[in-house]
Amino acid sequence: MTAPTTSTTEAPDPVPQRPGHRLEGRGITKRFGDLVANDGIDIKVAPGEVHAVLGENGAGKSTLMKVMYGTYVADEGDFLVHLEPVAITSPAVARAHGIGMVFQDMRLIPAFTVTENIALALELSGPRLDRKALARRIREESERYGLAVHPDALVRELAIGERQRVEILKVLMAGAHLIILDEPTSVLAPQEVDSLLAAIDNLRRQGLSVVIITHKLNEARAVAGRCSVLRGGKLILGGVDPRTLDDAELVEAMVGRSVKPIPAERPAAPTDRPPVLELRGVSTEGRPQSCLKGVELTVAPGEVLGVAGVSGNGQTELYEVALGLLHPSAGAVLLGGEPLGRSPVSTAIGRGAVGVPQDPIAEAVVPGLSVAAHVALSDLAQFKRGPGIDWRRVRSRLDELDGHTQLGVAHADRTVETLSGGNIQRVMLVRALREPASLVVAAYPSRGLDIATTRRTQELLLEQRAQGAGVIVISEDIDELIALSDRIAVLHEGTIAGIVTPAQADRYLIGRLMLEGAVAAGASAA
Amino acid sequence: MTTIAIAPTRVDVRPAVLAVLRWIVAIAGALVIFGVLMWTKGANPLTAYSSMFETLTRDTALSGIVIKATPLILAALAVAVPARAGLVNVGGEGQLVMGGVAAARVARLFGPGAPGGLVLVGMAVGAALVGAGWAAVGGLLRVRVGISEAVTTLLLNYIALNVMFFLIYDPWKDLAGGGQPTSPAIPVAQRLPLIGSGSMAVHAGILVALIATAAMWWVLRSTRWGFKLEVVGGNAEAARRAGFAVGLLLIGAMAVGGALAGLGGFAQLAGTEFKLRPGFLVTYGYIAFLASWLARHKPVRVAVAAVVLAAISVSGDSLQLDSRLPAATVNVLMALVLLAVFGWTSRRSEA
Repeated sequence: MTAPTTSTTEAPDPVPQRPGHRLEGRGITKRFGDLVANDGIDIKVAPGEVHAVLGENGAGKSTLMKVMYGTYVADEGDFLVHLEPVAITSPAVARAHGIGMVFQDMRLIPAFTVTENIALALELSGPRLDRKALARRIREESERYGLAVHPDALVRELAIGERQRVEILKVLMAGAHLIILDEPTSVLAPQEVDSLLAAIDNLRRQGLSVVIITHKLNEARAVAGRCSVLRGGKLILGGVDPRTLDDAELVEAMVGRSVKPIPAERPAAPTDRPPVLELRGVSTEGRPQSCLKGVELTVAPGEVLGVAGVSGNGQTELYEVALGLLHPSAGAVLLGGEPLGRSPVSTAIGRGAVGVPQDPIAEAVVPGLSVAAHVALSDLAQFKRGPGIDWRRVRSRLDELDGHTQLGVAHADRTVETLSGGNIQRVMLVRALREPASLVVAAYPSRGLDIATTRRTQELLLEQRAQGAGVIVISEDIDELIALSDRIAVLHEGTIAGIVTPAQADRYLIGRLMLEGAVAAGASAA
Repeated sequence: MTTIAIAPTRVDVRPAVLAVLRWIVAIAGALVIFGVLMWTKGANPLTAYSSMFETLTRDTALSGIVIKATPLILAALAVAVPARAGLVNVGGEGQLVMGGVAAARVARLFGPGAPGGLVLVGMAVGAALVGAGWAAVGGLLRVRVGISEAVTTLLLNYIALNVMFFLIYDPWKDLAGGGQPTSPAIPVAQRLPLIGSGSMAVHAGILVALIATAAMWWVLRSTRWGFKLEVVGGNAEAARRAGFAVGLLLIGAMAVGGALAGLGGFAQLAGTEFKLRPGFLVTYGYIAFLASWLARHKPVRVAVAAVVLAAISVSGDSLQLDSRLPAATVNVLMALVLLAVFGWTSRRSEA
């Protein structure tokens, strides 16, 4: 990677060059009540620089980005844009100074086309929208920035990676020279991650600046020339080249202590016992892309089965079928040796099946209810007292669980819906992994979690395995699957494209199975 | 340089105070709009309001309000309990009427000679059961067929009303009633006893309403069933995934609501009217609906709101006498209060 201040003559239509840093923050401080979310942070982003911001959940990364983008106004500190002091008091001000932001929950209107969405962001003058001219411009710009998008496609029909490209293009076309990306890779498949990182590098070569929030060290190293590490609102490392530090050093800067990797050596899963879960020719009804088609799968007790795949290829259906939430249209699901048939959800729960949901807000979070209530509702029978609920026992159980799982669950009285994604995920995990289960189905278990908690979650999943549970881990993070799984099943368009063992696992073989299915992989194996 | 001063410390206006202020503004706004409406109809709003107020200061006003509030409280709870599970029960009207019909049927069954206490208990039980069943139909259709309970319960109101019409125009018609379509009056011994004395006397139905309020407060707040309803109302998918029998909970919530409204019908029949007539409890169900929504379905507040609306309704009788407006005009005021309170105290403005 070139030095951050390299001139950008190689770009076809170079961004106007002005002296100094594209954005410099000095002593940025942001408080929320007593909490100091950002404590005197200095950050500099040069033209043609990709700057990674690393840190744990709650380290203040998102706050810093929002201060830079004007969503929040800093309590103290100054911003300079090309050496000129600027008061970033609102996103409109930030945009006027060429600062744009791509949010994690992309702010596109699904029912509109790409062109229409971009038109909305451009604040075009005049009553008429010249779709053709705009579409032409979108095509040109998308080519120039290496962000392939179809101007006429409806946003709701786009895959998540494509939506992200539209969002980035939208921000660029609105005139941003500095783009803030909030954890852009957390939603992407490996191949999509590669192409996003390539696109970011392309932007850099054209002289644009990118600030990228990420958890993933290899991504930071792959794309960023500089990185800043935040912890507890303070800047721990500022503007260092991430390639000069190894994983352990970066993790220690982020976490404040060293984190042990998961042990690679584990006692082999026993093979002589009957499976916990058996899917026999299971098919489901639904969208053609994602419905299951004659899936055969077994999970043994004491085994971790990883499920890889691009999201929307049957993961949701597999999760629901395994937990008795969805009854297959054909085939049979056997849980603990007995068919589930069309029995209610409570049957699967009664046989010891638990799940870590894919979309907690939709599937598990009840608005207005506390953390304690969420723990209580998943096992009311345990907390009976007369006709009521023994809330004292719920609380003491929650304390006990928090002590055992070491997940750092939010206070029992906090309303779950107001927690951050990572803290909601902690509630989901503590609920699911609190006691020995027969089957654990964990969908994207480390979503939104920091390194230390992710590691702890993986340990808890392995603890379940050691206690004899069959564990299914659905994830798009192939590294996580390789580290955890005894076998990895790859889903493609609702079928099992292949089952590989981590020993023989090759990231790109798994990637090909994910994207192309069994046929392509069979050809490549031959 | 843009060193931004530390943001001013947020003034800690207590949310409760703010909420009360909003309520006052909202109600004042509704009164102004209603005043304009009365003015366009040729009445003087100031004299109308003062005579409404004067009505409330009369000796008989208190008992009038309590008597009117009794079925309102019960029918409002019938909205509040299903609402906890996210259901919209618009069927209070029909459930009240069916409760009254059931109570009348039970009284006929026992006959005029049966002991009063026994008959009253029988009437209450019958009214609660029939009200529950009537409301459960809405729950069942929602769970089994997926039709909105708001639609079915509303439509069931017309069926209930016509069932009552059929009965009082023909099979149950009081032949000694001079041709009026009413059922025979239940004998004095089988009526709800009075409590209090003189102009303060009210029938014991208010006790049923108060006990029901306390019971629902406790049930919704402290029992597992109440907790489950809250979970279902908050996120039915989360409830399903936690293994709750969501369908049964929904039907149960409707049934409990219907039982409460049924009791309201019983109290009105055995305490106030003693016979069914075409105007039996007409519009009470809808006023109760307003009460529950005004109070955001919290039982104790619902009861208070029902009493307030009962007071407005009683005071509205003066409109007919003094301002020559139809007594039902006051329903417009209630609706305005509801809309104003909603507009001003919605979640958005609390945020």
